[in-house]
Amino acid sequence: MSLDNDLEEVVHEFLVESYENLDQLDRDLIELERDPKSAERLGSVFRTIHTIKGTCGFLGFERLEGVAHVGESLLSRLRDGRLLLDADITSGLLAMVDAVRIMLARIESEGNDGEDHYPSLCARLEALQEEVAASARPAPHEAESMMETGSPREETPFSTEEEMSEIETTGVATPAAPLPVATERTFSEELEEGRREGADPEVRSSGGVAESTIRVDVHLLDRLMNLVGELVLSRNQVLQHTQQRSEAGLAATAQRLNLITTELQEGVMKTRMQPIGGVWGRFPRVVRDLAVTCGKQVDIELDGRDTELDRSIIEAIKDPLTHVVRNSIDHGIEGPAERLAAGKSATGRLRMRAFHEGGQVNIEISDDGRGIDPEKLRERAVARGLLTHEQASRLNDREAIQLIFLAGFSTAEKVSNVSGRGVGMDVVKTNVERIGGMVDVQSTVGAGTTLRMKIPLTLAIIPALLVTTAGDRFAIPQGSLLELVRLESDVAKRAVETIRGTRVYRLRGELLPLVDLKHMLRIPQESDTGSEAVNIVVLQADGRRFGLIVDAINDTEEIVVKPLGKSLKALSSYAGATIMGDGRVALILDVLGLGQEVGLVGRSHDQGVGAQARTPGEAGEAGSGDEAKATDAILVVGVGETGRLGLSLSAVDRLEEFPAERIEISGGQEVVQYRNDLLPLKRLADLLGNSLRASSDGEGAGVLQVVVCSRDGESVGLVVDRILDIVEENIELRRRLSQPGLLGSVVLQGKVTDLVDVGTLMDDLASDTPTRVAA
Amino acid sequence: MRALVVDDSKAMRMLLGRQLRQLGFEVGEAGDGLQALEVLRAESQWSVVLVDWNMPRMDGLSFVQEVRGEPDWAGIQLMMVTTETETDQVVRALEAGANEYLMKPFVGGALAEKLALLGVLAA
Amino acid sequence: MARQYATYYLGDEYFGVEVKQVQEVLRYQEMTRVPLSSPVIRGLINLRGQIVLAVDLRRRLGLPDRPEGTLPMNVVLQTDDGAVSLLVDRIGDVITVADEDFELPPENLRGVSREIVRGVFKLDGALLLVVDPARVLDFERRAETLAA
Repeated sequence: MSLDNDLEEVVHEFLVESYENLDQLDRDLIELERDPKSAERLGSVFRTIHTIKGTCGFLGFERLEGVAHVGESLLSRLRDGRLLLDADITSGLLAMVDAVRIMLARIESEGNDGEDHYPSLCARLEALQEEVAASARPAPHEAESMMETGSPREETPFSTEEEMSEIETTGVATPAAPLPVATERTFSEELEEGRREGADPEVRSSGGVAESTIRVDVHLLDRLMNLVGELVLSRNQVLQHTQQRSEAGLAATAQRLNLITTELQEGVMKTRMQPIGGVWGRFPRVVRDLAVTCGKQVDIELDGRDTELDRSIIEAIKDPLTHVVRNSIDHGIEGPAERLAAGKSATGRLRMRAFHEGGQVNIEISDDGRGIDPEKLRERAVARGLLTHEQASRLNDREAIQLIFLAGFSTAEKVSNVSGRGVGMDVVKTNVERIGGMVDVQSTVGAGTTLRMKIPLTLAIIPALLVTTAGDRFAIPQGSLLELVRLESDVAKRAVETIRGTRVYRLRGELLPLVDLKHMLRIPQESDTGSEAVNIVVLQADGRRFGLIVDAINDTEEIVVKPLGKSLKALSSYAGATIMGDGRVALILDVLGLGQEVGLVGRSHDQGVGAQARTPGEAGEAGSGDEAKATDAILVVGVGETGRLGLSLSAVDRLEEFPAERIEISGGQEVVQYRNDLLPLKRLADLLGNSLRASSDGEGAGVLQVVVCSRDGESVGLVVDRILDIVEENIELRRRLSQPGLLGSVVLQGKVTDLVDVGTLMDDLASDTPTRVAA
Repeated sequence: MRALVVDDSKAMRMLLGRQLRQLGFEVGEAGDGLQALEVLRAESQWSVVLVDWNMPRMDGLSFVQEVRGEPDWAGIQLMMVTTETETDQVVRALEAGANEYLMKPFVGGALAEKLALLGVLAA
Repeated sequence: MARQYATYYLGDEYFGVEVKQVQEVLRYQEMTRVPLSSPVIRGLINLRGQIVLAVDLRRRLGLPDRPEGTLPMNVVLQTDDGAVSLLVDRIGDVITVADEDFELPPENLRGVSREIVRGVFKLDGALLLVVDPARVLDFERRAETLAA
């Protein structure tokens, strides 16, 4: 069947709405298995299939219409109480839904509903209605008496079309009540009611409410959110100006503006909120299918499905949630025999719970399965080389359980059909932390496992701490903030110690590694007197703490997060930018990114549960040792036609390109202006002697490839011809070289590579006696 | 002439709207009875409203009752859109004040015929 | 066909960008520097709530920095990556040029200029260099931050 453009649009819409309705239907069917008489759910299921069938008639999808028709007949019997839902019928209906999905997918890809009439499915569905029809319990009498006494109607199967249609339309369990009349309510009340209904799982399940809400283009919502962001900024600015004046009238107006803005902001943010039930809805089906696959019996319980989250966040947690659920069923919950042997019921329980707490959403996924054995995790961590035997043995049970979040821990496990797919719990953790959330797991051997996520409500407007460093303001999202410490200068001298180059502070007996924001961002030190008070912002990222030294700690404020453009996305230190009350832009620090940048937080492997568990005294030493190993990567550069040089990546700051025209001469030394400073240049070709020098002045000389290396705030730009690769290998010096500036030769990737002694080069620079190594 | 299509399925609204436009109507849409009432209140000069039976929030029947309870709207023609499985509903809709009904799926000239019957379409 | 170009100067060199790509032209705006970013990026500007990346066109072209105390002007462009401001020395007029006066960049145009100049309009007594905004912004390929 070929479709003209106009119809194509209709078909597209038909697909979108059918998929949506089918998702709801899956949930309803699973619920119905538990409560087979729920009139609301039966009505909802019926309507979905009914609508699909009706629309198919117009669009010429006869096969789909045929399957939907048989399904509809069966459903109408269920709806009318002539038939009682049981496991067989549920399976039949689920099979029908699968067939409908297949046909919809085919319509989507090919434009037709295929060749298959699904005769056996149709026969099965027809048989189901015949077979059980006889044994079904007709209950008109019961229904009547129930109505008279006004008992809750869910308990009663319904016999007449009339009652049924009322349930469908009102979705409220008041049998004799007239249909809702809305004439006296304002539109906004309507909307509010719509929202509340939408959030109420009971009413939601009547099928209609999801549709009764108005659909708004997501882009429009985003635009509204942006505008509100602007308004919040303007409000902040007005408030700031108001504080500097003392006009009573202005102050009152500003106060009112403040209140209205806050309310509007909340309102608009709410429009972006969706109940988590939208995502959870698919889990009953997932759990049912998985349990069948694994030969297990699992009951799922969903709690707090009306808990709302920003839509962007819901998107982000979908996959992590699915993974956790899969894990629970695959690894957590035991098979029926094992459970019975352990004195448990044959059916396992999986509980998903969501609730608000302290401005965050908590999500818990718990099972009553076999739990995680910390001893086994310790063994595995050692076997995988993630921890030394000693480190592992020092972990207490709770810490050991957190090992499942280490990269390379769960992935290499026996890959099963279910939780295989190569995704580990580390990915769950990373994804949740990416949106500013936290994950934690607790487990008791034999009793079960609970995984907890704490997730921010929204990403767009967040509370943040504002700090100042080197005259610039930065915003730090409050989610990663633990505490603030201010050390007066005399205290600071004693309290801040240096262990192998890392500054640490003893915070309540624990060693807190410190990093200076100025240093991290490579902002040139002005006049670091060292005699002033030290302000430490204690942060947590990826489960590890560190202290960020800033010049001043200002205030907390609600900030509007604005994304950075592509050109700045590569900088992992920033999460975005925001506009301050005075109209200037401030960068928002990405705490996780900063932590990784300084190596305090693992990028993937060395997530350092071990480091956490170390005793304070050796933390610094062991930490730096580990890091040296982890970052023992070599940047391989090409010089001249054949020259290969290696630079320890730990010495490398950045790679830059400079136009050759920017080279200037200062004191006989080639320099470029770089970050408000002069960057001395060294041509690495000089190290290799004249023979290779010539070609580097040839093609490509218009742009210099420069490796910027820094140490103690001093930088040097090493001019190379090509950046070749970064390799991580255990290196072994093959030949020591007498050449100054070179450490020796190694074989990397099968090729001889000379290692540059960046330290010596920098020493020479510092002593201001440039090496003249060219022979 | 202006026609309002009330149906919770957007695909259905698009389908009906398309046919109505071909017949020369200016078409409005609403996703359920309540929304349709809003539209009727906000804009006048609707000649005919095509109403689905099954809708959330406010279904077709209640909508018909609502419209017929408002004297200002007496001139609006109401057409119930149902399926063959809902014949008894047609009767109830007509009793409540609907002027016509249309069975889904309607083919060929069925829509035009019914509209002509209502006098909102020059035959 | 005739097109309109917004023109500006870097030193004596005369540049232009098609008017339809220009959002607005502004005098000097305060900026917030972005540590760790490319030296070409001078900072972020708040343009009525919109955050605009300021690119120093002199640095991008490999020209020496403008003398201390001279403030650049902003030519704000609409790009796929949001609004971007080119920091230039002086703003010229909006002029109308004819397509037939367009030529590809001359062979003797130097390295970086050649990379980002799409072509040249031969005007009476002047050459107008046409800068391609997309190429101006394509400077980050190599400058990604490395593991420190």
